[in-house]
Amino acid sequence: MIDTLAHALGRRSRESRYWNEYAETLPRAKIEALQLHRLQGLAHYAYDRSPFYRRKFDAAGVRPVDIRSLEDFKHKVPLTDKSEFIDLQLESPPYGPTAALPADFIAHHCETSGSTGKPLAIPLSMSDTIRYGETWVHGFWAVGIRPSDSFYFAFGWGNFAGFWSAYWGARRLGCKVISGGGLDTKGHIQAIQRLKPTVLISTPTFALRMAAVAAEMGVDLRRSSIQFTYHAGEPGPTALPAMRRQIEQAWGATAGELLGIAEVDAFGPGCPNGDGVHVNELDCFTWSLDPETMQEVGDGAIGENIITSFTNNAQPLLNYRTHDLVRRRSGCSCGRTWIKFEGSVLGRTDFMVTLRGANVYQTAVEHLIGEIPEVSNAYELVLTREDENDVMTVRFEPLKSLAGDPGAWPAIERRLSDHIHQALHVRLKTVALAPDSLPRYELKTKRIIDQRPKDFRRALDR
Amino acid sequence: MRMDARIAKVKEARTLIQAALAGCDTPQIEMMLRNADLELHLVLWNLGEAVPLRPELEYPDLEQGR
Repeated sequence: MIDTLAHALGRRSRESRYWNEYAETLPRAKIEALQLHRLQGLAHYAYDRSPFYRRKFDAAGVRPVDIRSLEDFKHKVPLTDKSEFIDLQLESPPYGPTAALPADFIAHHCETSGSTGKPLAIPLSMSDTIRYGETWVHGFWAVGIRPSDSFYFAFGWGNFAGFWSAYWGARRLGCKVISGGGLDTKGHIQAIQRLKPTVLISTPTFALRMAAVAAEMGVDLRRSSIQFTYHAGEPGPTALPAMRRQIEQAWGATAGELLGIAEVDAFGPGCPNGDGVHVNELDCFTWSLDPETMQEVGDGAIGENIITSFTNNAQPLLNYRTHDLVRRRSGCSCGRTWIKFEGSVLGRTDFMVTLRGANVYQTAVEHLIGEIPEVSNAYELVLTREDENDVMTVRFEPLKSLAGDPGAWPAIERRLSDHIHQALHVRLKTVALAPDSLPRYELKTKRIIDQRPKDFRRALDR
Repeated sequence: MRMDARIAKVKEARTLIQAALAGCDTPQIEMMLRNADLELHLVLWNLGEAVPLRPELEYPDLEQGR
């Protein structure tokens, strides 16, 4: 007798290498025809339902019916940027004119981490959360995670969209979910020993932090129940080979990674080859732009990823500037036809570093430094690697008028550190230096001093 | 079953669900039927069918719901 409760899926599905082979191997011509149809529908949807998009389209003199090709969409639909959404939301919280669905449809409120200054509010409908979670599952399945696995979530359950969407994915796959919310690092390790999950979800840096604490506790995580670690939120195993090696050695597990943007989608499940991510082209449309010339760049060239999401219907994102620099490739030896970003995100158009899971932008830190009146415009941001974490130190010169009063400098250091912490939720080291001690530059001032080992920098930051 | 036959079956199932939804006065059942239709809409979406962004856009006669 066949036990119908033995497996969540039938034999043929269980043996598949893909979560959805049909979708993941669609011929490019079919993908592009489908994307055009969906982009046309999305343009009408956004124009009809979102005052923000109606204004943008009208100002550009474009109507949804003008979109007759992918080229039309790329070049006629105006680019959008996060700051536009944030400004409008601040004027009329929580979502302002950026929303395209009424409150009845909003099933989950999320936010970005706020690392660029103010968090972006992200309304999501029920179907948005399903689509968002499903893309994670493409990645989970590709590395071998199955419904019989159990997920341990090593992060706090705030409003940040990133790992909520991983949770939606684990639910869609039908796996057991174990929350690590509220526990400290030691507590996470004890919970893993007690509950025996097989998949760890965390930032890659935190996986290494857990390994370091486990070693102090005399726990060998290679002997734990964890068979897979899966990461997002900062450069991980597909972007940094050294990170993969360290995680896999510390945990004795297979490490995977997904590229997502909180307000967009978890759009880039990791390639099983481990050297990049594939873009879920059924749920989004991407192209690349040279941020200097604003001209489109093709396959193999590095450009800024411009993305349009079909996932977020509650707050549509059309031709959205991600500021992520990527190298696109068509085709992959893994068999997927979805566009691949080799090495995931290679760098940022505005320099960004991830500190203890929080994305910290050079521009945001510079803006905050400028708000402390006793700090001059002579400063630099020094990046180092300490205890498996990236660390940023702000070295700055107080105003020359304070040169003769070094006793006042520690208070300025504290004030600057507190100000940054309050705005970005991450504490940076701040060091006051004697006025005129930092180097001056004739042309562009070098603000970033990156002293991290090469292996721990994104490709374009090396 | 061939993919086109599977897609046809899913479309038939949606027609049946939408018939069951018409005039529904039980919140729990209406929500379940809407969720069932959403799942089938996503099946078609993920098989590359040319369906609208959201299932509700296909049955404007029904009152708007979740």
